[in-house]
Amino acid sequence: MTELSVSTTVASHVPQVPLPEAAPKVTARNLNFYYGEHHALKNINLTLGTNRVTAFIGPSGCGKSTLLRIFNRMYDLYPGQRAVGQLMLDQTNILDAKLDLNLLRARVGMVFQKPTPFPMTIYENIAFGIRLYEKISKSEMDDRVEKALRGGALWNEVKDKLNASGLSLSGGQQQRLCIARTVAVRPEVILFDEPCSALDPISTAKVEELIQELSEDYTIAIVTHNMQQAARVSDKTAFMYLGELIEFDDTNKIFTSPSDRRTQDYITGRFG
Amino acid sequence: MADMAVQSDVMEAAGPYDRAKALSAFKLGDATFYWVTRISAISVLVILGGIILSLIVGAWPAMREYGFAFLWTQRWAPSADPPILGAVGPVYGTLVTSAIAMLIAIPVGIGIAVFLTELCPQWLRRPIGIAVELLAGIPSIIYGMWGFFVLGPFLANTFQPFMIRIFENVPVLNAVFAGPPSYLSLFNASLILAIMVLPFITAISVDVFKTVPPVLKEAAYGMGCTTWEVVRNVVIPYTRVGVIGGVMLALGRALGETMAVTFIIGNSFRISSSIFAPGTTISAAIASEFAESDGLHQSGLILLGLLLFVLTFFVLAGARLMLLRLEKKAGK
Repeated sequence: MTELSVSTTVASHVPQVPLPEAAPKVTARNLNFYYGEHHALKNINLTLGTNRVTAFIGPSGCGKSTLLRIFNRMYDLYPGQRAVGQLMLDQTNILDAKLDLNLLRARVGMVFQKPTPFPMTIYENIAFGIRLYEKISKSEMDDRVEKALRGGALWNEVKDKLNASGLSLSGGQQQRLCIARTVAVRPEVILFDEPCSALDPISTAKVEELIQELSEDYTIAIVTHNMQQAARVSDKTAFMYLGELIEFDDTNKIFTSPSDRRTQDYITGRFG
Repeated sequence: MADMAVQSDVMEAAGPYDRAKALSAFKLGDATFYWVTRISAISVLVILGGIILSLIVGAWPAMREYGFAFLWTQRWAPSADPPILGAVGPVYGTLVTSAIAMLIAIPVGIGIAVFLTELCPQWLRRPIGIAVELLAGIPSIIYGMWGFFVLGPFLANTFQPFMIRIFENVPVLNAVFAGPPSYLSLFNASLILAIMVLPFITAISVDVFKTVPPVLKEAAYGMGCTTWEVVRNVVIPYTRVGVIGGVMLALGRALGETMAVTFIIGNSFRISSSIFAPGTTISAAIASEFAESDGLHQSGLILLGLLLFVLTFFVLAGARLMLLRLEKKAGK
């Protein structure tokens, strides 16, 4: 590993020590994905390390979000979409046709580009998910809701209006509510699909901070168009282009000395 | 002149003065448009007021004769001298048939809508959708005939004996299903009404279910919800107002439906505890007796009509109120 430097990029001042290997949480082997006839993902091989934040970058339409939607089988909702290859969550084969999808989605939570609070009160938005899997008393539920909202860095802003509609919150608050809701069901992996693209800079900063805190307890995958964001929040970065995984490495390495020409062109803004 | 001025080349050549002229032509059009729409809207109020007024005028003799006792007299004897008229029978029949019809049509109608939007394979979607729409297109007299010749015999010969056997020893319910078998019954009318209003509920529910953003449903599925949980907790709460609108439309039709109901309800003014007994509704009573009525009898029928008007108004107002309370509960 020579210290080749593309000195103008974002994280170049950080000393380059390769990250220690984390235990694999999600492993893809020769993963392919098809929208009907269209071959959208080609032979993806990668591993999401436990309690690591992995960022997916690349130009629009490169397959980042598609890949994310395989991790929780979201594509299953739509006919004509299929994944081929191997994708393991610990010892579970995610692509197994007989897999209990509800259970899988309890283990792999997802936060979307646009905030998606459910049409109910703030309290219910959190309690709803918990109730799907656990039968607990009212006071325990109150505790869990508070904990989840604290986890989503939202408690102080909403503690006096838990019975207000989730839709009455601002965009940034709604997004944190969605994160809190996802965390409340205690998943193992959380997928973020461009979670900040609809938010203002201050809300974005809050969500980013939150993602870093969450990485202590969860394995995180985040799709982002914002390269500074990828550099700020992630440990590992995957660069994708035209359905292929071009480069997958420590974030520091990707942003300072990428080994592929296309990665370098993309992060320096020459295309994309 | 106005047409000419709109053309841009003419306008440019003629300069700003003609442009102002052109605009003033538009203004005249605008004013006309404003008044045409305004008069259309006002005419609704005028017509509504006129109908209410003429109902009140027509019903006045009966109102003076019977007063509020009309509301709690069960006997309906127009040929007695003087005629004895009471609205309890038709009002009861109207409310019971509509209630049973809605009890059946709401879950089935919403169920069809959920199936069509969330579960149905693509190729089956159109046939079912078209069938539901056709259901709305069948004239009500045909429903009446079908209820009379097909549904009635089935209910009387098969369904009622079966229900009587099952609920023989259950206190209240045995009275609800008791009685001699009859082709003409409240329940028969309720079933026909349910089928008739089903397309309203389904069509409107399908339309509003389609407005739920896919990402919201994905979010719910993403938490591990089953389809039932997504529908119950996300789709229906999100579309609540629209669905209730469809239900109201259906209820309005059920309360007022005349022809099919007149055919199969039996036109009996007596109230029976059994839903398999003949009964009558307000509209059926008016339709079957109005042609041969005169004097106080006719005025009594008009008073019944006024009552239906008021009843419908209160039901719709009640639904509005319910909607408001639901919204409050959801935290607005």
